[in-house]
Amino acid sequence: MQLDPATLILFGWIINSTLQVGTPLVLAGLGGMFSERSGIVNIALEGIMLMGAFAAVAATYFTDNPWIGVLVAIISGVLLAAVHAVICVKLKGNHIISGTGILLFAAGFTTLMLFVIWGVRGVSPGVTPLPEIYLPGIGYLSPLIFIMFALVPVCWFVLYRTPFGLRLRAAGEDPSTLDAAGINVEKYRIYGVLLSGAFAALGGAQLSIGFGSWFGKGMTSGQGFIALAAMIFGNWNPIGILIAGLFFGFTRGINFALQIAPGWDWLVGVGNFIQMIPYVSVIVALGIIRRSIPPKAIAIPYIKEKEI
Amino acid sequence: MMSESEPNEYEISEWQKPEKKRRGIGGIFGGLWKAYVNFLDWSNLKPLLIQIGWAISSIILSMFVASLIMLATGYDPRIAFETLIFGALDQPDQILWYATPLIFTGLAVALAFKAGLFNIGAEGQLYMGSMAATVVGFMILLPPVIHPFIALLVGILMGGVWALVPGLLKAYRGAHEVVTTMMMSFIAILLTQWLAAGPLQEPGQIQPQAQTPRIFITAQLPKLFGSNFLNFGFIIGIFAVIVVWLLLNRTVLGYEMRAVGKSETAARAAGINPKKMIVISLFISGCLAGLAGAVEILGYHHRFRDGWSAGLGFDGITVAVLGANNPIGVLFGAIFFGFLRAGSIPMQTLGGVPAEMIDVIQGLVVLFVAAPKIVQWLAKKGIGWAKWIVKEPVKATPIFLGAIMALIGGIAVLAVGAGMLGTLVQAGLIGDIFNLIMTDPFIATHVGILTVALIFGLISLAVFYGMIVTRRWSPIILIPSSIIWIAIGYVTMILYGGTLLIPLVVLGVLGMVFAIWSLILIYRQDVSYMEVKTSAT
Repeated sequence: MQLDPATLILFGWIINSTLQVGTPLVLAGLGGMFSERSGIVNIALEGIMLMGAFAAVAATYFTDNPWIGVLVAIISGVLLAAVHAVICVKLKGNHIISGTGILLFAAGFTTLMLFVIWGVRGVSPGVTPLPEIYLPGIGYLSPLIFIMFALVPVCWFVLYRTPFGLRLRAAGEDPSTLDAAGINVEKYRIYGVLLSGAFAALGGAQLSIGFGSWFGKGMTSGQGFIALAAMIFGNWNPIGILIAGLFFGFTRGINFALQIAPGWDWLVGVGNFIQMIPYVSVIVALGIIRRSIPPKAIAIPYIKEKEI
Repeated sequence: MMSESEPNEYEISEWQKPEKKRRGIGGIFGGLWKAYVNFLDWSNLKPLLIQIGWAISSIILSMFVASLIMLATGYDPRIAFETLIFGALDQPDQILWYATPLIFTGLAVALAFKAGLFNIGAEGQLYMGSMAATVVGFMILLPPVIHPFIALLVGILMGGVWALVPGLLKAYRGAHEVVTTMMMSFIAILLTQWLAAGPLQEPGQIQPQAQTPRIFITAQLPKLFGSNFLNFGFIIGIFAVIVVWLLLNRTVLGYEMRAVGKSETAARAAGINPKKMIVISLFISGCLAGLAGAVEILGYHHRFRDGWSAGLGFDGITVAVLGANNPIGVLFGAIFFGFLRAGSIPMQTLGGVPAEMIDVIQGLVVLFVAAPKIVQWLAKKGIGWAKWIVKEPVKATPIFLGAIMALIGGIAVLAVGAGMLGTLVQAGLIGDIFNLIMTDPFIATHVGILTVALIFGLISLAVFYGMIVTRRWSPIILIPSSIIWIAIGYVTMILYGGTLLIPLVVLGVLGMVFAIWSLILIYRQDVSYMEVKTSAT
């Protein structure tokens, strides 16, 4: 079969935008996985991503080195996740209320700082993005995409083949057994939440200095929740999250690609429906295909018996 | 042998006799009196007071953290809060107007929460409700009073239907409602955006925007009190608060919903169908969110414009959390956030502080409300006072707050004295201060205030110690100290100007309130912190 060059270029564009847009979803989904596997619901992913995206741009703006931006993004994400960890693990607060609080705080704080640093309300000035890597046929890609592909097997190995991963999973499945084995449940839950902060913030950095080179008010626009959906879709498993995240990335990325492709502009009119695919597929998957099985002890604060 | 006076077990004793029902005015007053006594009953009041206390503490703590953020980013918190508070009080109609949709979305989240469900997608239900109400508003011709009524009803049903899908999925497929309501919310936003930019777009716009035509004037809700903003929707909001309160607390349905929220297994054992209750609660929750959208369109916006809500559904979560999921609490929570929103514009234009500060405060409030176990945590860490507050909150809290007032007041007054002393030293007047006191009345007053300030600053710190270890003399001395704080504030304001008076008056009044309260507690009961300190482990 002979493919004409225009179609090949279009395929390249679609693969490119799928990877660019799917990477933050996979990274944040992996973060959500670490948190939920340890038994803590983290709907603050959206807020942590936003904070990471902002911190990456701000740090790059001041240092002119995007790698420092990535580092600062991870630190800010871990700090914000630490708040969630203290409230959920130490103070036994409601996970969803705490997550909502972080979500609202991050949305307000990043918009405020946008005004404080640059005096603008919508979009920050452009900064140096991460150095892009060229792949023939696909085009320029952010380095975080390759880091993401490297992290997925690492996460799988850590989760299923190390004592740390076993304990983390036990904290979410059966904390009293873990406690009986003499291991501190709270410690592993805190590790889970902090890891989720680091991963979600890395996803945010891909949004702001990987794919783009600026920060915009509310730029995550619900991608933290799509990442949560990818995590559920991927059955709390790194490989599943990779596939689900890239699939959702594809449904988002196809819009970018088709809008500039000749002969496909009629699709712009139904772009809203293409954008709905991730949301609809999650509802279909959860409701019709099969029941999702989350970790057993999720959202249940672990209270040692002697403390009651 | 049984004596005459002892009650016979076959005889109905006095308290078992059915109470004689009084009718008429006397009956009503008797009922009201009983309700009042019931309200004052400590065991009923205590959890309520603790919740109100924690909500207010969260607000104060978040204001404090927000002040720190303002200081760190180079804004003056005093100016910010001044412009915020006075700006909001200048336009009370806007407070209630901003509060109106929050009442509905707050009720929506709170009602679902009572049934153990987290309706995080109120935003989408609100969009669907508003779109449905708009369609009825501009497509159908109806007489004036019936038109808004039908539009509201359609909006309510549309919101309910949108929440029905997550409800059914939760009840019959076990899909978690946090995920599904959120997904439905994004679908709703994209769908209404497509409708407003496509099939239902207002024709003949010069610069095409994603908006529908205006609704007919017959469908609009009347404005209240000649305000440009406040409309009849607020009255519907009050009505909704009463209806939801009655539904939750005075009906079988509400009882069953709350039972499912407390424990699904227990509810099932009691013969309640939890699946049915999950579906019904999410449906009603969606109805309330849909009503929020319908009321906003019919009352103020008068047309659907893409992105008009900007997070009213999420703000509903904040309101419900702050109001402890109690309908009346939701009303107050909504008015509080309405107050912040109304004051945010003057804060930005007059005070120069970005309005986004309000969003930060909102997030912080939720975070603090989410962590009510903070005192228990401190108690576990071995801080004696936290232990006492956990054990006997009624006795310990006012005494503790009195001590804190004494500490802050003491430091403030000492700072005033030290500041004045510093001025004297700088002016090089210390050398012949005794001559100057004799000759210059201004310097004499100055030195007088300085001395009083330093002495009472130290006394206040001593009172702080006394309150902490619950010495009997400490509240007695706290009362005159509080008066001195106010006096120092007043005199310094007269002499040098400045606004030191306001914080010192606040401190003084609070100090006196807690002093009298602690005085009663310490003298009436044998309160001792030391006992708790030694007994608690």
